[in-house]
Amino acid sequence: MVRDVCADVLLGLAVLTVASASLGVLLMRDAYQKLHFVTPAALVAPVLVALAVLVQMGLVENTGETCLALFFMVIAGPYLSHATMRAIRVRDQGDWRPGKAPRAEPEQ
Amino acid sequence: MVLGFTAAAIAMLISLIPAGIVIARGDLPSAVVAYQFITAVMVMVLALLAQAFQRSSLFELPVLLALLMFGGGMVFVRAMERWL
Repeated sequence: MVRDVCADVLLGLAVLTVASASLGVLLMRDAYQKLHFVTPAALVAPVLVALAVLVQMGLVENTGETCLALFFMVIAGPYLSHATMRAIRVRDQGDWRPGKAPRAEPEQ
Repeated sequence: MVLGFTAAAIAMLISLIPAGIVIARGDLPSAVVAYQFITAVMVMVLALLAQAFQRSSLFELPVLLALLMFGGGMVFVRAMERWL
């Protein structure tokens, strides 16, 4: 009973995190600002879900596999966010480094 | 079936609607960001459904998607940077 309540509370927090991040992705002005709202959904909410599975099931194989998925997301998330930010800047400015000349337009 | 996990999975799927709107109506960088958001949420949805249906074999799907999320995301990002 206590385990169920704790798991439900953790799941509720995870859903709240994802829902608010989703609204952030929708409402923010440009991709730079939207990208900030991917991080809660990619890092915080998976931790809450893994904790909910851990509370519900205890230390079993299912919990291990959920934690493995969480591990991959925690490792990959920051790299992916950095690469996305860099790609958007290259697309906008022509180069990701500050002070570089803008990309030349292709000849017609 | 565990009701809380099923309800959380459904709520997270509903939360994907705003990101879908961004993909459909936003510019390309915003769409790529929304795609990454949806992929991250789908990993959790698969884990929640596996737990809800109490099937151990289904827990391999979120692990696989978490791995593919990085590769697929990088492909989209590099394509956006170089060619699109």
